Amino acid sequence: MLTAEDQTAIEQRLTDFLSKCEAQWSALVDKGGNLFAQAGDTGNLDLSILSALAAGSFAATHELAKRLGESEFSALYHEGLGQHILMSALHHECLLVTIFGERTNIGLVRFYAQQVTPPLNELLQGAREKEAASAPLQLEGNFLDDRAAIS
Amino acid sequence: MAFINYSSREIQLKIVYYGAALCGKTTNLVTLHKQITHAQKGELVSLATDADRTLFFDFLSLNTKTLPGFTTRFQLYTVPGQAIYNTTRQLVLKGVDGIVFCVDSHWDKMADNVESFANLQENLIENHLSLVQIPYVLQYNKRDIPNAAPINYLEFTFNNRANRALAFESIASTGSGVLETLNAAARLLLAKYSKTPNANVTGMTQPNLSVAVPAAVENPQVSAGNAAA
Repeated sequence: MLTAEDQTAIEQRLTDFLSKCEAQWSALVDKGGNLFAQAGDTGNLDLSILSALAAGSFAATHELAKRLGESEFSALYHEGLGQHILMSALHHECLLVTIFGERTNIGLVRFYAQQVTPPLNELLQGAREKEAASAPLQLEGNFLDDRAAIS
Repeated sequence: MAFINYSSREIQLKIVYYGAALCGKTTNLVTLHKQITHAQKGELVSLATDADRTLFFDFLSLNTKTLPGFTTRFQLYTVPGQAIYNTTRQLVLKGVDGIVFCVDSHWDKMADNVESFANLQENLIENHLSLVQIPYVLQYNKRDIPNAAPINYLEFTFNNRANRALAFESIASTGSGVLETLNAAARLLLAKYSKTPNANVTGMTQPNLSVAVPAAVENPQVSAGNAAA
């Protein structure tokens, strides 16, 4: 669960992170593939797909780490010709996914990703605590009538 | 676990199509991608081998406005059915909200179906979940094949729990029963958010089964056992 204040706070951190490391786009994705906060621009990329693939890729890497006796590979880097992706593990089953191009380099992005990780973890912890303390979402209305939910 | 974003008024729900190899999980998503017109749909992504067998997962995202004041984003995944990809299936089940268990109606596939259903339950346990917590529907697919197992046998084998699941007959390749299955799964998930869930459309009562449910009958032709026990 993410409130408007949580999202604003996370997005401010991401925006600040992007301006420092000069990356193009950054997002928080959970390990189930849900995107819940982002900053920057990816053009016409389908962000649902991007998140699902990033979560899948990181999950596979995590499993590889386990097989090698590592508790986790904390970061995963994919290098392309012009665009690259860095994925860093956060707490609460979340990932920081960053896309960057030729304006910056992996060292800088990784450095600032490490810097932004503790405050993001704190914000996630706060959101998790709020969720645990709040009542579950219950909506009024006959939305479960005989109409198809999806058509 | 469902992700609720109060800022963008969005609820994200993950539905996983599970089942034995070649039972029609990917075909379900391909057909849905063709059939669905009103919901805002994303691209269908398949991480498959050269032989078109699912290697990691297939993925399709659908946005609907079913819930008042919220956009509901259904994220549909399939798992690879082949036995060697069990670790991958466990990964795809992370954060699952609902399951469609796809059963191949072919007699010769019964043992595979039963094994896959048992494997689903094992992999849910690996993710600290169970079929008691996670809403699921059953889909008896390939009903058009000449030697399809009778529905009463499939019901006995896969739907013989105290709380019976909604079950649907389908022919995923033609689209028959595909959207009905997904809608049933979607309603089961959405019922959680309703102050006044209507039992007739949420599957909480038995008479809503879409297939005839006869008394449990044991069929001696197949020795696959009772997967739902």
